[in-house]
Amino acid sequence: MDWGKVRFFWGEVWRNFTRNAAMQLTAIGTVTVTVVLLGGFLYVRTTLAAVGDDMLHRIEISVFLKDGTTAQAAQALRSRIAHDHRVASVTFISKAEGLRQMRQQLKGQMDTSLLTSNPLPDALRVKAGRPDDVPAVAAHIAKLPDVATVSYAQDAVQRALRVGEVLARIGLGVVALLVFVAAIIISNTIRLTVFARRREIAIMQLVGATNTYIRMPFICEGIIEGVLGALVAIGLLAAAEHQLIPKLITALPFVPLNGNSANEALLALELLATGAAVGAVASWFSVGRYLRT
Amino acid sequence: MISLRGVSLTYPNGTEALDGIDLDIQKGSFVFLVGHSGTGKSSLLRLLYRESVPTRGTVVVDGVRVERLRRSRVPQLRRSVGVVFQDFKLLLDKTVWENVAFALQVTGARTRDVMRQVPRVLDLVGLPHKSRMFPSELSGGEQQRTAIARALVHNPKILLCDEPTGNLDPSNTTEIMELLLRINLKGTTVVVATHNQAVVDRMRRRVVRLDAGRIVADEERGLYFGNEALRATGTTGAPALGPSAFGVGRGLG
Ligand SMILES: Nc1ncnc2c1ncn2[C@@H]1O[C@H](COP(=O)(O)OP(=O)(O)OP(=O)(O)O)[C@@H](O)[C@H]1O
Ligand SMILES: [Mg+2]
Repeated sequence: MDWGKVRFFWGEVWRNFTRNAAMQLTAIGTVTVTVVLLGGFLYVRTTLAAVGDDMLHRIEISVFLKDGTTAQAAQALRSRIAHDHRVASVTFISKAEGLRQMRQQLKGQMDTSLLTSNPLPDALRVKAGRPDDVPAVAAHIAKLPDVATVSYAQDAVQRALRVGEVLARIGLGVVALLVFVAAIIISNTIRLTVFARRREIAIMQLVGATNTYIRMPFICEGIIEGVLGALVAIGLLAAAEHQLIPKLITALPFVPLNGNSANEALLALELLATGAAVGAVASWFSVGRYLRT
Repeated sequence: MISLRGVSLTYPNGTEALDGIDLDIQKGSFVFLVGHSGTGKSSLLRLLYRESVPTRGTVVVDGVRVERLRRSRVPQLRRSVGVVFQDFKLLLDKTVWENVAFALQVTGARTRDVMRQVPRVLDLVGLPHKSRMFPSELSGGEQQRTAIARALVHNPKILLCDEPTGNLDPSNTTEIMELLLRINLKGTTVVVATHNQAVVDRMRRRVVRLDAGRIVADEERGLYFGNEALRATGTTGAPALGPSAFGVGRGLG
């Protein structure tokens, strides 16, 4: 290892980097904003996808029985449904049990003591093995005797997922635009440094430095700006996740949020790589334009 | 060492800087390039280190067809051709030592070589004691000597000087010319573009005279205005101020 060479190289990078602190901060700040948005977007998207999937798999068919169906008839219906190979499980929920569960779910959101009589019929809760089978199973059950009504939430969930997909595309477009803006701002900072160092560059070319060598400190500068911006952004995102997710989980009791669906380490790495890549590409172009003249 | 054949150069804006130049410069020689302002001296030198390429003709430097050189090979050429300018082109925030070392460092030289070569050239130009000073702390002559040291640090076979004494007073000028002669005596081919009649007339070296982009005179042991001028007027006391006046170069030329 030639430490003299290493010291010289990083000395040059440091010289560039400290030449115009305000400009460097602008570049880093832009990367931070971009990466926060990109990271937030990716996080929300993976979380939503996981939540949607989870909800689809949890869809249950509620089968409400006609009033006055005997316990025996209910049992018979239950085993008949359970025989269907598409059905994973069938649970009998009595009138009283149904009311208890409802009280539990609505706790804190509605004054359940207002419910003086029990409006619920006896019911069966049916789970399909695969979400796709839900409509067919539901239609089949609706035709059986003693069944009053059948309901499931599949349509609503699927519609929500489609809306989510459209929103994701718009989000992706916005993020792409921001990455572009960040690249332009970094490339402008680098261009300022290149301009400030045009004498050095001219001399380097005169004494036989290769373009690759001349480029290197500037590329490093771009990468440092990108990585620093991404690091700040990752810090902000981690803080946000720490603060927000528990609140969201309490605020949205029906949404199965668990905060574990996104792989944070991988996401952080992706964001770092994005920052570095944006910095490298932006500076490559801004120095390149100068070297060709 | 240097050979130009039918070289013409027209700048993109239409200025015809060089027009049909044929010129050969032997290895180890010392050549002055003279002529009025704007006659193409700098343009000719620029062709030799591939700062520009001729519109027509061939340029051979040290066996390399310069005008055909691929961009990626240019750095190689620049390391075998040192260049010195009127305005020194030193980095003001670097010391003498750093300015010279810079030329090696940016070509990826090993620190061992930097530590060996920099003292060698600083010694050669007579500046070892000023190595820690910044250009602003040096005289013009010392700054130019620093620039020459930088040009020599790659051990180039050719040293090109574009008005090297243009910014210097007579005594500094003499110093620099003496130094260039000494470098030439060590075997380096030296080409000097200059306006300085006194220097040219004193040194009695080969003089190539340009006018409007053409070579109009080329004389060994020449004078600034040509030997015709000497014969016609008999006023230039050149022989008394020949190279021997510097105590070097006797028997050369
Ligand atoms: N980059 C350029 N673009 C266009 N024209 C140029 C360029 N450089 C020089 N010229 C023109 O080419 C001609 C020759 O210029 P050059 O600099 O070679 O002359 P010179 O002999 O070195 O002059 P001087 O003694 O003043 O340095 C001049 O007319 C000049 O205006
Ligand atoms: Mg000139």
